[in-house]
Amino acid sequence: MILKAEGISKTFFRNTGSANYFYAVSPLSIEILPESVTVLTGRSGSGKTTLLNMLAGILEPTEGKVLLDDTDLYSLKDDVLSRLRNERIGVVPQARSAVDTLTVMENILLPARLYGKHAPAEEARQWMEQFGIDSLADAMPRELSGGELRRMAIIRAVVQDPDILFADEPTGDLDDENTEKVLSALYSFAHDQKKAVFIVTHENDALKYADRLYKMEKGRIGLQENQSGGAL
Amino acid sequence: MSSLSVKNLKRKPGRTIALVLLTAFLALAVFGGSMVVLSLRNGLQSLEARLGADIILVPSEAQSKVSFQNMFLQGTTGAFYMDASVTEKALEVPGVEKAAPQVFLASLKADCCSIKIQVIGIDPEKDFTVQPWIARSLTGELGEMEVAVGCKVEADIGEIIRIYEQRCKVIARLEPTGTGLDTAVYCNMDTMNQLLAAAEAKGISHKITSDDDSVVSAVYIKVKDGYDIDTVNTALTGKLRKVTAVRTRSMITGVSDSLAGVSRTITAMIIVIWILAFVILLLAYILIVRERSREFAVLRLLGASRKMLGQMALLESSLCGLTGGVIGVIIAAVGVFSFAVLIEHSLGLPYLIPTFSTVMLLGIGTILLSAAVSAAASAFAAWRLSRVNPGTALREGN
Amino acid sequence: MKKTMISGCIILVLSLVISIGSFTFLSPCMHEDGSVGACWWAGRTLLGLGCLLGVLAVLALVSGSARFGAYLSTIAVCVLGILTPGTLINLCRMSDMHCRAVMQPAMIILFSVSGLAAAVGAWMSGKGKA
Repeated sequence: MILKAEGISKTFFRNTGSANYFYAVSPLSIEILPESVTVLTGRSGSGKTTLLNMLAGILEPTEGKVLLDDTDLYSLKDDVLSRLRNERIGVVPQARSAVDTLTVMENILLPARLYGKHAPAEEARQWMEQFGIDSLADAMPRELSGGELRRMAIIRAVVQDPDILFADEPTGDLDDENTEKVLSALYSFAHDQKKAVFIVTHENDALKYADRLYKMEKGRIGLQENQSGGAL
Repeated sequence: MSSLSVKNLKRKPGRTIALVLLTAFLALAVFGGSMVVLSLRNGLQSLEARLGADIILVPSEAQSKVSFQNMFLQGTTGAFYMDASVTEKALEVPGVEKAAPQVFLASLKADCCSIKIQVIGIDPEKDFTVQPWIARSLTGELGEMEVAVGCKVEADIGEIIRIYEQRCKVIARLEPTGTGLDTAVYCNMDTMNQLLAAAEAKGISHKITSDDDSVVSAVYIKVKDGYDIDTVNTALTGKLRKVTAVRTRSMITGVSDSLAGVSRTITAMIIVIWILAFVILLLAYILIVRERSREFAVLRLLGASRKMLGQMALLESSLCGLTGGVIGVIIAAVGVFSFAVLIEHSLGLPYLIPTFSTVMLLGIGTILLSAAVSAAASAFAAWRLSRVNPGTALREGN
Repeated sequence: MKKTMISGCIILVLSLVISIGSFTFLSPCMHEDGSVGACWWAGRTLLGLGCLLGVLAVLALVSGSARFGAYLSTIAVCVLGILTPGTLINLCRMSDMHCRAVMQPAMIILFSVSGLAAAVGAWMSGKGKA
């Protein structure tokens, strides 16, 4: 599995300032490989989330292609792309992403149930135990704290068993102990299960788990560290 | 996705109840209003069938014509008389095929209740309007001091009811007609003569003059095929003194016009309610879009396609519509059936509830329509929700 | 307010409608000559049952421990209320008289809805106890 972005960029229309259009993400190319953790840092507003969304198949680039094993994601029909994302791409968004009318367990098993697949309840319980929210299986999202919701979202993405997992600020609401647990779990997910993990963060805790480290500034990306020796 | 839709509805009870109640109100208006209109139309058809005759002869007294119409429409009692020879004289008029006399008597008070009831005496051999209808509920004939009662007289077969202290045995209960005849009691002429004598003894005279022996209240005329009813009508009026000939068509036309007016009013009300309910539903679903964008964005993020999201939204609105439809139809049915008599009295028109199969069809049709309207109202919202962008809907800080 | 009390509120309102209605807009027939028929007694009975319903509703609202029993008793009273007009006590013979056209169907509906509310209330109270 290789996720490759070729010359992708994203422009948005803004009704203020001297120019009507601005580059949220300047044209760039990037590769995400399996058995690796890629970390992208940068200030707020630098375009990290926009890049993540494009790579995850959620936001169509203005220019360029995103290829998952040579399949151009954005050339696919919506139902095909949706199914592919459900099966192969997991996303942990920065914002609260629980469905309020479902319990915590129902939220975690939702990706499987969308397409009538077998729901890995036992695996979900194990992850919930590991992250300390096993007692909240039947709770409703409104009863959970921000940190607990964040952990729920991570478990949902991991249990989905995607080939590539995107996480936007996964440790934002977490204390130090849980931050370590989550980052360590994502690292194991990548290396033990031969998956790709892409983390967007502005915290330093994630840096030590990075196999590749990128920095984004004003829509432009730069490789900081590359253990495999490759470059942009 | 369907179980997700059901969960969404169950776990947001406030929102679900509001939408269900709105469609219930819609269904109630449609079913209830349609039932009333259909019952009125049924009643009119029944009236036409019950009148049977082309012309009805009644005494010329000013009140008798009005009393006669009210007797048919509202079941108010009437008692007016003319000489029995009118029947024979009417048969002599060219174009008259049949002439059937009836005698009316209003009881002061029967043991059934404290109000007057209408007693109608018929000649079973000559009668062609009431007799066929009685024959549907009675295999034999009306014997002496035996009566058949309209469906609104609560007397069981075999029971004895007292009219002017005379004991009369109930031998049949007649089918509903939706007209004022449902509150009448029918007997043959021998029984009627005994009742008239009993009334006389109570000081209620039916005699036109002191020499009168034999009287009738109305004579039903059937015109021969090929003859113009108006011409026969004129001939009868010319030949018979102190007698008014009532064209049944004019009575029916009068009722029909009133019915049309009521029908139009009810139909207009239903249309207004529909439009209002649809607009409110449309607005409600548009407001819901804003509230549910995040939820649908999460589903999109997890791999739900636009088609799945659209189907989910439409399924939820259809379920609300279906549930509301069932509730509305049930409430309307309970009201219309339980208070049928009250509705009939309020309208003052013939009113006969349609057959079970018609009611069922109407009910099912109303329920399906409610579901369809609900789905239609949510179509725009469903389209918007299916196109939600997870990237923008789930922005940081939201 | 507890969910189990909602039924009590509904029953209280309906009991007021039944009680007040039984001698006003839902009353039995008014005879022209001032005499009373069988339906008059049915109306008095319904007034009494309506008042009893109100008492049971208040009991269900104020006493948590008696709530379940009060709802069960309400169901029994409602069955009686449904059977009173026309079955236990005769009404006038003519279907278009006020007792049959208005009082009987209205009271049957009101007592049925009360009974249903009591059944739901009893079920919810019983669930809480279990």
